[in-house]
Amino acid sequence: MEMDSLPNGNSTTTSTTAPSTAPPSKLTQLTESLKLEHQFLRVPFEHYKKTIRANIRAVEKEVSSVISAVNDSVDSDISNDDAVQRLTSLVSRLQGLKRKMEEERRTENLQAERCCARIDHLESPDAENLTGWANMRLKRILVDYMLRMSYYDTGLKLAESSNMLDLVDIDMYLEAKKVIDALQNMEIAPALAWCAENKSRLKKLKSKFEFQLRLQEYVELVRAENHMGAIAYARKYLAPWAAMHTKEMQQVFATVAFKGIPECSVYKAFFEPKQWDYLVEQFKQEFCRLYGMNPEPLLNIFLQAGLSSLKTPYPLLVNLLTSLPLCLSLPLSHTQPVLFDTICVTVVKYFRTENERRCFLSLSRMISYILWWQITSKTESKEK
Amino acid sequence: MSPANQKSILTELKHKLIAINPLKLLEGSQKELNLNLSKFPKLLEKSFPDISKAYRDVDFDFHIVNQIIASHFYHQGLFDLGDCLINEAGEPEAAAQRSHFLELHQILEAMRIKNIEPALKWVSTNREKLVQNGSNLELKLHQLQFVEILKRGNRADALSYAKTHLVFFASSHLKEFQKLIVCIIWIGKLESCPHSELFTPIHWEKLTEELTRDFCNFICQSLQSPLSVAIVAGIEGLPTLLKLANVMAAKKQEWQALKQLPVPVELGKEFQFHSIFVCPVSRDQGSEENPPMLLPCLHVLCKQSIMKLSKGSSRAFKCPYCPAEASAVQCRQLYF
Repeated sequence: MEMDSLPNGNSTTTSTTAPSTAPPSKLTQLTESLKLEHQFLRVPFEHYKKTIRANIRAVEKEVSSVISAVNDSVDSDISNDDAVQRLTSLVSRLQGLKRKMEEERRTENLQAERCCARIDHLESPDAENLTGWANMRLKRILVDYMLRMSYYDTGLKLAESSNMLDLVDIDMYLEAKKVIDALQNMEIAPALAWCAENKSRLKKLKSKFEFQLRLQEYVELVRAENHMGAIAYARKYLAPWAAMHTKEMQQVFATVAFKGIPECSVYKAFFEPKQWDYLVEQFKQEFCRLYGMNPEPLLNIFLQAGLSSLKTPYPLLVNLLTSLPLCLSLPLSHTQPVLFDTICVTVVKYFRTENERRCFLSLSRMISYILWWQITSKTESKEK
Repeated sequence: MSPANQKSILTELKHKLIAINPLKLLEGSQKELNLNLSKFPKLLEKSFPDISKAYRDVDFDFHIVNQIIASHFYHQGLFDLGDCLINEAGEPEAAAQRSHFLELHQILEAMRIKNIEPALKWVSTNREKLVQNGSNLELKLHQLQFVEILKRGNRADALSYAKTHLVFFASSHLKEFQKLIVCIIWIGKLESCPHSELFTPIHWEKLTEELTRDFCNFICQSLQSPLSVAIVAGIEGLPTLLKLANVMAAKKQEWQALKQLPVPVELGKEFQFHSIFVCPVSRDQGSEENPPMLLPCLHVLCKQSIMKLSKGSSRAFKCPYCPAEASAVQCRQLYF
């Protein structure tokens, strides 16, 4: 029986044009999978947006400062020389601003180009470079993992060797590295600076990271037995957060009193060195949220999806096999492999995909052989 | 300059600045920019779903992941990267397969410049097992080398090579041997040789593939690194999983708590490695202890389901699909 001459019951169209280098289904499959590339496009965009907004704010600040300086000079009583000096300094400030903005414009353009390069990359796969493109994707996923796990050397090496520095966000991770390294060294300052830099966006996301940092600084003051300093600090920096985080505030204030007592496990937790690791994790999370990165490494997401999918290849097929229509319940003596195959051909018409058809047929052949053996051995035993 | 003059100049400056109103100008130019800046992420979110929705919070042992990645790098021949990773991540055990893959890649590199020595060395070390598995790699390697000598046109070289290396295959692979010897006559005019198909360069590619396959088989590794298979499967299967997660969220079911996928994820043919049987009654996977059994009515159930249906005795039970009766002894184990 010829597999290729199977009637395809459902389709009315004939086969499409022959594929060029790779079967068209592979290319369409790849195009479908482009949908999974949110992070790839989002991150450079968020970076670009951040740069633009920061530059606008800088310009606004400087311009309004110059204007108010002019207004001040009008109202105040200053000598001729002073006035000339002031105006000259304002002019040089504006010139400096102009130069800085030209530089920033170049940076912005580079960042916009990177966004475009990424879009181009997603449009680039065609029949010829499918495997190369897919390999590139695997490498991108690996670089993302390396950078998140802080294996910067390996990540950088992989990115450089495959010439894909444009397609990965190494500079973002290096920015994060500064804060992470500092936190691991029990230094809070870079993290606080980062919070200040991204204040408005963190506020929009209702982030409590800054509060957690301030909390840790307070704990460190208590640990150093600087009780007056701790209280002053709390008044200045923790009080603004009091409304949102009353419970934690109460716990933390109690630490001043209960620090030395080992039984108080609740308060003890604040003094554990593990708190710093917790802060690192929180930072990573907020960083990812801010820049549109997935909270988990891409590798984990795809690996989990892959392992879940691979575990269930074709139970569907065997279920179909076991629920064959009644026509198969023929008396055993009439069952021969040829007849079985013919029955399979009619059933196969109802299978949806070519894969299912082929697998069913090979499976059915096996079963028919087993049956035949079964039957002949039975008849032999009967004859004996 | 009199103070009055100074004041009037400064006031003029102040009014000019108010007239220009630079801050308002800045604001105006931002309007369109802000519009576009907010449009883009919305577009992105529409066309590019959030893939982390399909992720279930399972504990990932990153040590194992690191080892898998290092092994992947070695598999691909990226030894520097593998070493760098092992160093940075601190996973010395991951270097277990390194030497094997190093050998493989040395062989492959040599083959690329048509040097079969490393390949021959490996083949002769493992000759017994290869011959047992029915492989004729050694002959093929010598064949390729011989063809190169023939192309160079030196009859004496060809004869001596045949005497030293091809003669071993005279008895086991007589036909191939004869073909090769005959070609000596056509040295200098190989285009008219009747066995010209031996001279196409594609044989090098094919043999390299076969060699890689056999080598990987030998060191009990798959041809493709497990990492790439899993990731590619993940890329293919993720859209289905996302749909599933969305459907479950709509029905307020717990995606996170899912222990087993309610529907199978269909993957391409290259992911079909071996059949897995799932009993339609108990939805258990077939295994050594619980194999699939063929009923006389030609339906298949797992052994445990049959035991349950027949209540452990030799009583007849009804097949869940057709009303035919069967007893446990009549069922035969099915081997996939």
